[in-house]
Amino acid sequence: MALYNFKKIMVVPTAKEFIDITLSKTQRKTPTVIHKHYQIHRIRHFYMRKVKFTQQNYHDRLTQILTDFPKLDDIHPFYADLMNVLYDKDHYKLALGQINIAKNLIDNVAKDYVRLMKYGDSLYRCKQLKRAALGRMCTILKRQKSSLEYLEQVRQHLSRLPTIDPNTRTLLLCGYPNVGKSSFINKVTRADVDVQPYAFTTKSLFVGHMDYRYLRWQVVDTPGILDHPLEDRNTIEMQAITALAHLRAAVLYVMDVSEQCGHTLQEQLELFNNIRPLFANKPLIIVANKCDVKKITELSEENQKIFADLSVEGIPVIETSTLTEEGVMQVKTEACDRLLAHRVDTKMKGKKVHDVLNRLHLAMPTKRDEKERPPFIPEGALTRRKAMEVDAPKRKLERDLEMELGDDYILDLQKYWDLMNDDEKQDKIPEVWEGHNIADYIDPDIMKKLQELEKEEELKERAGEYDSDDESEDEEMQEIRVLAKQIREKKQLMVVESKEKDVHGPRMPRTATKVERKTLEKEMGNLGLDMNDKDGSHYAQQARRSRSIAKKRKREASAPPTSKTRSQSASRPPRDQSVSFLLLLILSQMKGMNRQGKKGEADRHVFDLKPKHLLAGKRKSGTTDRR
Amino acid sequence: MRIEKCYFCSGPVYPGHGVMFVRNDCKSFRFCRSKCHKNFKKKRNPRKTRWTKAFRKASGKELTVDNSLEFEKRRNIPVKYNRELWDKTVEAMKRVEEIKLKRQARFIMNRLKKGKQLEKEEAINEVKKNIHLIKAPHAGKAKQMEDKMVQKLQEDVDMEDEDN
Repeated sequence: MALYNFKKIMVVPTAKEFIDITLSKTQRKTPTVIHKHYQIHRIRHFYMRKVKFTQQNYHDRLTQILTDFPKLDDIHPFYADLMNVLYDKDHYKLALGQINIAKNLIDNVAKDYVRLMKYGDSLYRCKQLKRAALGRMCTILKRQKSSLEYLEQVRQHLSRLPTIDPNTRTLLLCGYPNVGKSSFINKVTRADVDVQPYAFTTKSLFVGHMDYRYLRWQVVDTPGILDHPLEDRNTIEMQAITALAHLRAAVLYVMDVSEQCGHTLQEQLELFNNIRPLFANKPLIIVANKCDVKKITELSEENQKIFADLSVEGIPVIETSTLTEEGVMQVKTEACDRLLAHRVDTKMKGKKVHDVLNRLHLAMPTKRDEKERPPFIPEGALTRRKAMEVDAPKRKLERDLEMELGDDYILDLQKYWDLMNDDEKQDKIPEVWEGHNIADYIDPDIMKKLQELEKEEELKERAGEYDSDDESEDEEMQEIRVLAKQIREKKQLMVVESKEKDVHGPRMPRTATKVERKTLEKEMGNLGLDMNDKDGSHYAQQARRSRSIAKKRKREASAPPTSKTRSQSASRPPRDQSVSFLLLLILSQMKGMNRQGKKGEADRHVFDLKPKHLLAGKRKSGTTDRR
Repeated sequence: MRIEKCYFCSGPVYPGHGVMFVRNDCKSFRFCRSKCHKNFKKKRNPRKTRWTKAFRKASGKELTVDNSLEFEKRRNIPVKYNRELWDKTVEAMKRVEEIKLKRQARFIMNRLKKGKQLEKEEAINEVKKNIHLIKAPHAGKAKQMEDKMVQKLQEDVDMEDEDN
């Protein structure tokens, strides 16, 4: 039996798409270039290949569709029946049959045309044959349009069916519409089924899972069933009937005691009796729901009698209210226990059991003495077992606290800390001080170490390590320092002055420039000499004498007095007394060269002693004054 | 929240600053600023880069072995929170910091003492060699000589007076 996975059925394309895909694939994946001067066998082979390729593609895809869709005979009768209810068995089989036929037809077409191609004698003929073959295949497929559409819809719906395992422990809920089946499943499992006040809110089967006694249980919610004969039932109700018929489950027949669903208890009882045959061989429980509105004891005599009758027959009647949650757990435990017992019974009656039983052996040690040695169950396990059965609320969860406090809730994980003093739990712990991490200093022995350190410190202080050793310097030293500072400043000044001097040109010796008396006296005064009353000194006298001589000398010359500075040499003849134009030119040139310190015309400055273009590079043909 | 140390310059890396680089051998390096990061990428050795603390410690310019430095170290055994221990630690920390600073300053001072000695000698040399730039050698000498001569004359006169 092939293993079907309803969710992994390949997408069924529409007829048009199917044709497009296959034809474009043929075009892409087969060679496209052909010329009429090729050899005929090559042309034939080319076109045959195309036909076969198309046929192969169609065949593959159709086969996949046929294998993916489940055969109704191969799957569990529950699913077979369900699919019949939902999709109509006949229509389904027909659609698949049509696909099969189409596949065979396509194969035949291809076979025929390939055979014909062998007799094609020109490119044109072969091409026409190919066109005809492809055209026929595509027409066949076009005719399957409706089947393909139907199958696509089936596939989509099939993949959305709830995964109900027909063989595992299941609880099945059934009853009139609006009695509270969906509310029940919402309470017991994590399922989230729509609960609305109108009838037929649930339109299909829903599955929820729950845990009990370390086992996984399925809870199946069905749409409500109304009371009419089987033939009149619509698809929705039929799903519920199918589930009832095929699943080996504990049945929970839900009744509405308060008659809020719109049907009286009598009607509900009628329905119950009608579908009684479906409950054969299944543990049954009656769930009297909505007991918060009306209790059984509040009912009228006849109605109470109904329930009494049912309990007499051996069917437990349990009052519940999905609103207040009373009785829900009781129902669950009762149903689960009964189902387990039933399943165990069935297994015991079956054939497989003996294989297992033969291998099982419970070893009981022989009694040594009369001492009772009961199994030891720790208290925690006992309480937990009890809690599981009763399903009482455990300790207050964080979530409950959150709900209580609403907006004020703050997650405070510090309250779980395990400290020596409990009142320190809410302390704000300092982390950093002045660039140091406090955590680096934490040490249980820190006080001891600190004391040792203090002792050391004391010793050091006593030894005089921390005395400031600024020996008071004697006055002499201080004076020396002051003088040294002044000397340094003076030196810096002199350096700066010499940098500011203008040395572009021939440097005159120091004696060439005349020193002013004022500057001399100022300088010497700064150096500490007494410069008052120095009129009679040598330098002052010399200054007076040279001035007078210079004056006399000037008066002797016959030329008109011209204003010249004293520093100019007197041996040179005055300007307009001589000189030819040529001499003037020569003189001006000489002036320039004198300024730059050149000996003569030939004294040229070579700016670039090692020109790169002469000294670098490979030496090929040529001289070195140009490369 | 922790203040980490920069791998290169050993400075503090405050939260929200700097860059952490994790190498393929799972060693992580923190840098306080891009200067340290870039130097690291240039494969410079912090022990040879003069401005880093690593250099200073390695070349003996700063205090390395001392009891007061043993207090601040990363311990791998966590200690449960205990309010009085924490209080005591905070106070002890402050005191240890004082002592540490004092000792570090003392160390550096000792190191620089030799420099002071050299400075003194240099000043003396300077004055000896270049005093002429400030004071002329015989600056006050003329006055001195005058005074001396006046004094001498006075003495002579006195002596003459005595004789007479």
